[in-house]
Amino acid sequence: MTRCCSNTHSGNRVVARRLIFKFLLIVLALTSLFGSALASAAQPTGLLREYCFDCHDGVAGEGGFDLAGSLNQGDFDGTLVFENLITAKMPPSDAEQPTAAQRQVILKWLAAKQKKITPISFRRLSRHEFVHSVNDLLGVDLDLTGEIPEDRGTRDFDSDRRIGLSKEMLASYFAVADKMLEQAFPNDGFPQEQIWNTNKLKDSHQTYNIYTRDYQDGVLFSWTRANNGNSYSFFYDNFDPPTAGWYELTFEAAKVGDFKEDVSIQVHAGKYYYADDRPQPQRLLEVISLGNRVPQSHTIRAFLEPGENVSVHCYSKHTFRKSDPQQGVYIKQLLVRGPLQDWPPNSFQTVFGDLPMRGSQSQGIARELPPQVPVVSGVPLAKSGYQSNLQKIGGSLAVSSFQKGMEKEKLQDGSNQTFWHTRFEPTLAKPPHFVVLKNPRAAEINGLSYAAWSGGNGNGLVKKYSVFVSEDGRNWSDAIVTGELEVRLANEQPIQFPAPIKPRFIKFLVNDAKTVDGRSLASIGKLDVVLPINRDFSRTKVVVDSDSPESLKLVVKRFAQRAFSTQLTDDELAPYIALAQQELVGLGHSRDDKFVRAAKVGFKAVLCSPRFLLVPGEHSSPGYGQAANLARSLWLSVPDAELLAAAADCGSSELSEEEIRLQIDRMLADQRSDRMIESLCDQWLNLRSWDKVSPSLKLYPKYDDLLHHFLPLETQAYLAHLIRENMPVTQLIDSNYTFLNQRLAQHYGIDGIIGQHLRRVSFGVEVPRGGLLTMGSILKVTTDGFDTSPILRGAWVSKNIVGTPISPPPEAVKAIEPEHGTAAARTLRELIDQHKNNATCYACHKSIDPYGFALESFDATGQWRQKYCVELPHRSTFQFRLEGYFRTAGDVDSSGEVDDRRFNDVFGLKELLLTDHRRVGYNFAKKFFEYVNGYAPSLEQRLALMAMINDQPNDCRMKDVVTAVVVESMSEKTR
Amino acid sequence: MNHFNRRDLLRFGAAFPLAMHAIAARADEKQASMKPPKRIIFICNSLGFYEPNFFPVGSGDLETSSYLKGMAKKDKMTVLQNLFHPGMETSNHDSEKSFLTGAAKPESPNFVNTISVDQILAEQMGGGTRFPFLSFSIYDRGWGCSWNNRGVAIPPMHDESAIFEMLFGKQDLAAKRRQLETDQQIIRSLNRDVQRLRETGDIGKIDSYRTVVAELEASFRREQFWLETEKPLVPNSLSDDQEFIFSAKVRNLLELAKLAFQTDSTRVITLSLDWIYGAIKVPGATGGWHTLSHHGGKPDVLEKLCRIETDIIKHLNEFLVALDGIKEGDGTLLDHTTVVIGSNFGDSSNHTCNNLPTIVAGGGYRHQSHTVLEKPTPLCNLWLELLHKHDIDVGEFGTSQSDQHLLPT
Repeated sequence: MTRCCSNTHSGNRVVARRLIFKFLLIVLALTSLFGSALASAAQPTGLLREYCFDCHDGVAGEGGFDLAGSLNQGDFDGTLVFENLITAKMPPSDAEQPTAAQRQVILKWLAAKQKKITPISFRRLSRHEFVHSVNDLLGVDLDLTGEIPEDRGTRDFDSDRRIGLSKEMLASYFAVADKMLEQAFPNDGFPQEQIWNTNKLKDSHQTYNIYTRDYQDGVLFSWTRANNGNSYSFFYDNFDPPTAGWYELTFEAAKVGDFKEDVSIQVHAGKYYYADDRPQPQRLLEVISLGNRVPQSHTIRAFLEPGENVSVHCYSKHTFRKSDPQQGVYIKQLLVRGPLQDWPPNSFQTVFGDLPMRGSQSQGIARELPPQVPVVSGVPLAKSGYQSNLQKIGGSLAVSSFQKGMEKEKLQDGSNQTFWHTRFEPTLAKPPHFVVLKNPRAAEINGLSYAAWSGGNGNGLVKKYSVFVSEDGRNWSDAIVTGELEVRLANEQPIQFPAPIKPRFIKFLVNDAKTVDGRSLASIGKLDVVLPINRDFSRTKVVVDSDSPESLKLVVKRFAQRAFSTQLTDDELAPYIALAQQELVGLGHSRDDKFVRAAKVGFKAVLCSPRFLLVPGEHSSPGYGQAANLARSLWLSVPDAELLAAAADCGSSELSEEEIRLQIDRMLADQRSDRMIESLCDQWLNLRSWDKVSPSLKLYPKYDDLLHHFLPLETQAYLAHLIRENMPVTQLIDSNYTFLNQRLAQHYGIDGIIGQHLRRVSFGVEVPRGGLLTMGSILKVTTDGFDTSPILRGAWVSKNIVGTPISPPPEAVKAIEPEHGTAAARTLRELIDQHKNNATCYACHKSIDPYGFALESFDATGQWRQKYCVELPHRSTFQFRLEGYFRTAGDVDSSGEVDDRRFNDVFGLKELLLTDHRRVGYNFAKKFFEYVNGYAPSLEQRLALMAMINDQPNDCRMKDVVTAVVVESMSEKTR
Repeated sequence: MNHFNRRDLLRFGAAFPLAMHAIAARADEKQASMKPPKRIIFICNSLGFYEPNFFPVGSGDLETSSYLKGMAKKDKMTVLQNLFHPGMETSNHDSEKSFLTGAAKPESPNFVNTISVDQILAEQMGGGTRFPFLSFSIYDRGWGCSWNNRGVAIPPMHDESAIFEMLFGKQDLAAKRRQLETDQQIIRSLNRDVQRLRETGDIGKIDSYRTVVAELEASFRREQFWLETEKPLVPNSLSDDQEFIFSAKVRNLLELAKLAFQTDSTRVITLSLDWIYGAIKVPGATGGWHTLSHHGGKPDVLEKLCRIETDIIKHLNEFLVALDGIKEGDGTLLDHTTVVIGSNFGDSSNHTCNNLPTIVAGGGYRHQSHTVLEKPTPLCNLWLELLHKHDIDVGEFGTSQSDQHLLPT
């Protein structure tokens, strides 16, 4: 039989394959038509009798499987028999084998016999597809998938057609569409870009001062792993993102220390926590790798939300917890620019394209938009360039009394380790104790921000307070707020005024304070005013200079056609146009933003339409349907202009196969296909569970955030390489290279890799890496973070790589439970080997457990091991230490036996798997088919998939399989 | 404004019953606390409870259960023994999907679930409150114990602060009102398109959308209606414990359930105490909950597992105590709230679904402390009984055989 998988596709070959496929269909149709006649006339059942019934006959059949009996049952499902035959698992190697032709006869017969299960004809757009599509439609880049529920349930693939659309999903699509439209076309306009410059860190507990110190013009970070093993975040002060958007963060930084490795800065965003080394909900934005000894600019881009601050974690393996390190990361300063905005904004260009646009402040002509000049915010910094809010509004302080060294200035220096204290020497100041904040320019103030001073004996910490206001500093109002403060809390505690006010004087009166010695005292770490969030920073509205209902119709039509991948008639468009036009009228004449606002309503209807949210959509011609299918499968998005043009070109017919192949080629080379790679890793390889398990710090003390970040990226890079470069499918199992950076190379014990960018690294045959099975990501995701489980790992390999059909455990089988007492199984292996003692268990577990045994050479983080480790208890509070808390125990035994073939270790297992590349290729084809189509292929479709697998290991290649499956999925009957 | 909107609301036929419900409910409340409403909560502990520690040894004596002897409200609870779900012999973890539905063989590849008992109750009891029901889980998994009438999973909420915000947070009413109006206009336009598509397109596909969009429209109307009533003002009492994140989560979700009942924000709640691979930390133990649940009788593993289960029981106990501490009418909130605590698993080590650990607390029943059923009895019999107890007249539910009156009133 001709195979279609090869590097080159001659047109003839393609045609030949199609013909063969059609022929095959005819044969199948005939077979089913004359099913009973043929069966009795011998061939397939005769062959089964000849090759299978010897063992599988009667209730006492091998593996408890009575094939002969099953065949006669009306509802017989031949999938298991089919899979065992097509992957040559059966008949067993020591038994007589059918010829290839005979095998085909049986397979076709089984395929024809399979009860027709028509897959559900549609599915809902997945949340990832929704967000990517809307981003591409609007020309923005927002990751809001987290705001849509994960509705996959226990299904493997997001595309699974059995996942129904729920009200909750539709509701979140409505809500997320709003957010994305608002980001693309903000009602209040685009905020003007600003610049911040900072080298000051927010306060942290003194415990952490051993990890940083002042150095030259900035700060030297030596280590950020705290006593409990978690990372401590150092937050930058003087930069608060005023609005959600993309920001450019430039770290002027250098490596300090005499060693060859790079040091890294992990840049996070999250809410500021004072002195907190427990895991906080922070997002890792990027890792910066430093090899330069002289400060250089390292720039990253990140989406930040108001309320988030930027923090850094820095590691330098040489200086763990030394109080005076001479090594680490030197950050001279952080320069921030943003929110970044293309001008004119990309979203307007994408959607309103050729209509005249202008900035709302400009009276100019079309497209003349105001230039964006960055506004410098904050103060260009000297070393301690902190400016309080009160100072920003030109205010000052007065206090009732002070102790020398604890003056009022200490309230305003941005630190709560320095503090103001009422006088206690030489005489004790009498109450009332108070602070007056002066606001000479009568700026608007929302409230006060109080922080207790940290450290010390707690004398004077404020417990109760009242706030008064005055215009002249003499006549005071009644208390506008009275309240209590938490004394043990080091965070800022906000004191909200009932309404924003503009008093010239504010008095903070201490009504009650903590005292350890009975004296009347008061002390405060920080006291500042809270200003209204600066919303009036300059914004520029983009105005589309039109109020024509016709233009509006055109804009909505263009948008809808892109979203739906179709040509729409006026009739079809009517509901959407009417909605937008009605809004246009409703908004009245005076508003200059009415056109954009009206268009937004129309767009939202498009994004919530069944034409957009249900797959397949409604398409004016088959070509448009195929374009949508291609874009969804490879980009998780809507077609781009080129795909739409191709669909338009082919009129009422389908895209030619040649065209489809050209498009697949182009689309795989495009960066948007990274989304498909990531989805495959998440859904096929189950890396979506990545974050759910954190390895034990006692057993795996070296596992850190960097490793956690990079391990899945290795897998993505490798899979992307296999597909884009069309590498043999055998490289799923083994190769002499992978994609590493410094941290991953350290983890794998490979020397000489410096810097944190991923690159292709080759190694010798003695290295167990190469291929998916021995990647840290896969090895970790199949454990619970403590112990490895050969069953979990074995099941992963069996399901995702080898594709062994596993029937569910038979009814009434009790799970293995070890016996107690003297007969107790001693090792995990002995425990699992109990499967052997039970024929019913062993029937399946013999195809699961051995793969797991081979991978026992790797611990729960994927590091090579020869002995097991046993956790040791720690004394009192857990203290992180690099050597961990464990002792080594028994030797790892990684030998096993699959299909009567023995292997000694993981190298042997890989060799064994490589002897049948067709099985691996066929399984990948099946998984990819399911990923694209949302249902498992029927037996008939599996025959077609197997036909895509080239007999020659070197000619059976990843991109060819991907292409063939996508082409197959474009055909009418698969959709 | 108020009046105008209500009239607006009444123009739309489908919203009418809803409005009547709500108005009637408020009138009820005005007639003082004469008859406090009934509430119900289902709590599914997805990895079960270690049987020997859970079930009383001496029949009828909760003091003989090491887990339950510390419960403060023993006189207001009944432990039911020997309940099971038929058709779950090989279902394993998938049985969680059927915990409240009773649909057999949830593990089969073409399994379609049926409506869960909480959803039937919500249809009946959910009319008069801001939220017809609430569904919580620990993790963002997309499914829990609540399934709609098409057998589609209702994604539970798992973020405590988001739940708190939804229940009690302030909203920009004007903006919200505008948005709801626009959204309803959008739905009307979409319905026009749907009508058209039904004539030409794949009817099954279009109708699946039509059903869902109608549900969404109804919930928009409900939201619109409730905009006129201020949300209850409740101080935030959620724990921010970062050390025992799991414990804090269980506690917080139960706290939210209490607050929601107390403020009559809803009358039906489902809480799925779901699991993931990976370690959790409770006082005295750190480990993979799932791994530990396959304890195989090993004492060291069991000890850790029991610490986790004890921690969960502790929070459940505190929840019952808290409900019982809230006076309502002639009794307490607990007396008017049926609290069902159960699991889809009987034996967690073997992950089997027989002898499901089940407690019914509160609800004003004459509690029996410990009822051992003679023979294995479908859990759906209990679900059927609870439906009857809440005035829902159905002949059967799931695999139910009969209402056995396990909870005398």
